[in-house]
Amino acid sequence: MAGRWQWFHRLGSPKWFYEKTTRWLPWLVGAMALFLTVGIVWALLFLPPDYQQGHTSRILVVHVAVAGTSLSFFPLMAVAGTVTLVWRMKLADMVARNAAPLGAWFTFLTLATGSIWGSVSWGTWWEWTDSRLVSMLFQFFLLLGVISLRSAIENAETAARACALLSIVGCINVVIIKYSVDWWNTLHQPSSPISMEVGSPNGPEFWVATAVMIVAVYLFLAVSLILTTRNEIIQRENKAQWVRELVAQAR
Amino acid sequence: MGAGTGGAGALTAAGMGGMRMFDGIQFNSLSEFFAMGGYAFNVWSVYALFAIFLIANLALPLRKRRLILREQKRRLAVLDARDDSAREPADSAGWEVSMAGDEK
Repeated sequence: MAGRWQWFHRLGSPKWFYEKTTRWLPWLVGAMALFLTVGIVWALLFLPPDYQQGHTSRILVVHVAVAGTSLSFFPLMAVAGTVTLVWRMKLADMVARNAAPLGAWFTFLTLATGSIWGSVSWGTWWEWTDSRLVSMLFQFFLLLGVISLRSAIENAETAARACALLSIVGCINVVIIKYSVDWWNTLHQPSSPISMEVGSPNGPEFWVATAVMIVAVYLFLAVSLILTTRNEIIQRENKAQWVRELVAQAR
Repeated sequence: MGAGTGGAGALTAAGMGGMRMFDGIQFNSLSEFFAMGGYAFNVWSVYALFAIFLIANLALPLRKRRLILREQKRRLAVLDARDDSAREPADSAGWEVSMAGDEK
């Protein structure tokens, strides 16, 4: 907490974050709505049926976007956790704390959509011997672990540090998820190389639609995480003068 | 990132491989759209879950925000009432309000 770091603390202050996001939110929400609409309409109506998967390829646009984005939670929480551990920045811990439940939602949706797709294409809903499936399930349990660790430790600062450590260690699993399909190729296919040729497997008619959906899902992650973090700010900082003024102005 | 529609248009204009990126809407009727080539359950359950996921993670934080602001506002009103009654101890109604608020 040396004097020279004060600017850094001010930069990461809850008030600074709240004021900035008040200005960013309308743009983020607008962009999210646009990309989501384009992505969903494209995937449901315009995507040509796959020659093997038929119309179930429409599932993959959602599945790939949500699954890819779900891998960003542990790195995000690890970075926020490192900031918490080194600089004890309150804001970083608030972000990390609110990221965990959202990450659990993302991971659950990945597992559910993958299972629903697999029941057609693989003829099975679940396969315990597949490394991608099991490592993804492990990420779900790890996130539940982070959430329950937070509530299990009484002292807020100790809880924040323990969660930060678990988040950093949890990044190992992200690497395992990412390369599982290459290291142990059992059931889940490796990611298809992007092709520029329309009509080929993973041609632009598929991957551009998926890219749009990935942007949409990342924007959604940002919007949702900003909303929950702002809630925590007005709750935790309720004694600050600027929050009192905000409360007084509300309706 | 304008790749959404702009990029797609550019690729179409290039006329790649004789096929176009947009062959228009892939269904000839509404019932065909709902049927999804026999995979209605799989496709629609995924999109239903996706919709729940999106709506829940936007609506719940917004709802919580309303509740927090309402609760804080009540708390501030109680504090204000306490200040007022401290200045005017004769006003017993103010005390009752603050005591009720303290109970929670």
